[in-house]
Amino acid sequence: MDIELLVLLAMLGVFLIGNLLLKLPVSLSMILGAVAGALVAGEGVPIRHLFEGCFTYVDTILIISTAMLFMTAIQRSGALEALNALIVTKFYKVPALMLILLMFIVMFPGMITGSSTAAVLSAGAIVAPILLKIGIPKARAGAILAVGAIMGMAAPPVNIPAMLIAGGVDMPYIGFEGPLFLITIPCAIFTVLFLGLKYCKNLDIEELKKDLDMEVGKKYGFKLYIPILLLVVLLVLTRAVPKIMPQLGTPLIFLLCAVVAVFTGRRFNAWEGGLEAMDTTIPVLAKLMGVGMFIQILTLTGARGYIVVSCLGWGLVALYIAICTIMPGFGAVSSYGAASVMGVPFLLVLLDTGDQITIAALLSFICCLGDLMPPTALAGNYAAQIVGLKYKPVLKHCVIPFLVCIALAVIYLLNSKYMGFLTR
Amino acid sequence: MLFLKYVYLAIVALLLALILTNMFKKDKFLYQLDAALVIIPLILRLLLIK
Repeated sequence: MDIELLVLLAMLGVFLIGNLLLKLPVSLSMILGAVAGALVAGEGVPIRHLFEGCFTYVDTILIISTAMLFMTAIQRSGALEALNALIVTKFYKVPALMLILLMFIVMFPGMITGSSTAAVLSAGAIVAPILLKIGIPKARAGAILAVGAIMGMAAPPVNIPAMLIAGGVDMPYIGFEGPLFLITIPCAIFTVLFLGLKYCKNLDIEELKKDLDMEVGKKYGFKLYIPILLLVVLLVLTRAVPKIMPQLGTPLIFLLCAVVAVFTGRRFNAWEGGLEAMDTTIPVLAKLMGVGMFIQILTLTGARGYIVVSCLGWGLVALYIAICTIMPGFGAVSSYGAASVMGVPFLLVLLDTGDQITIAALLSFICCLGDLMPPTALAGNYAAQIVGLKYKPVLKHCVIPFLVCIALAVIYLLNSKYMGFLTR
Repeated sequence: MLFLKYVYLAIVALLLALILTNMFKKDKFLYQLDAALVIIPLILRLLLIK
């Protein structure tokens, strides 16, 4: 048996034992796996490499943390609740459009933070009562929240698996917006209409209003939305006119908009908000640290190269089957782990088959779908909790949207060479 | 831009303060371990060591 294969098996084995049997956090399990791999390869405990691995995702950490501060700020200011109320009262006569817009609200925190958990727990919790009031059964509403949160996690501007895959091959995280929008938006629209539209007949707006916070929108008016608009304007301007607009960087933009949100809506304690935001973010950040160390040791020991060379021997058909099955399946442990362990080698194998950024974006999208996989199923379990069910009935309704998402991703992957214009 | 460098160091310091406060507030060992893990690169970055 090749030593690289032995190292890989040791790393995955220790990781799985740590995470599934000993119930250790993903971060710690990944570090233990990395150390085990280094020991098997005869490298001892390579402290320098473990620290190097820590630094792989420092920029990503800044983006996620500041995005979470922004998300908490607009949630506490009342902007999300006001937006919810606005959509329902304006569009209840056009249920399809109303559902699509509600789906975008579920997606929004995921888009900004790159975390499906953040999407379910913030916007999901706000939208869920409306979906139930409309008459959508609990299991279907849970499925809408779960898939919506995952579409948000995969949608730009922040897609962490895409950052992990790009970081793994030294590709800048630039140009991912087009392909990611092209895959996430149609899938999100299909999911919400497929699961919810038939229940949206003859809506009683007065009944719906009972579950909406109508006051916050009336009290603060347009200025509630200023932080969200400012965010969009700054993100677009820095890309559209880079020579005129100073490159502030995504973390600073998020932080500026979070500060603005403190003054545009309901008053809240900014420090307390910041603590709450970081409380939910720390486990995600630690996971990134673990992933960074894991990849560093995979590279140091040659196990990563071994995966790529082995994949090359499989042939393309087997590779595409693995992409559709093993990659989302690995999400049962961690979608970030899937991106780093499987996504990077798969991208290296597929580099010559089409547009590289599009391929990386689509692989990251498939990794994100892993957040639906039991037993971990972060997005799914939280969504089920919010609608007051166990995950099993919710998962049943996620199957068809999941298959449609995978099918669309494969169609795009096979045609990625025609999609290069989206990345410029 | 030199100015932005100091702005970003301030952002790192803010995040460090928030993470440290959360770490000392919670009494769950594994959570504290996660927080300590995140703190390491941030401290090194703040001190411009790496």
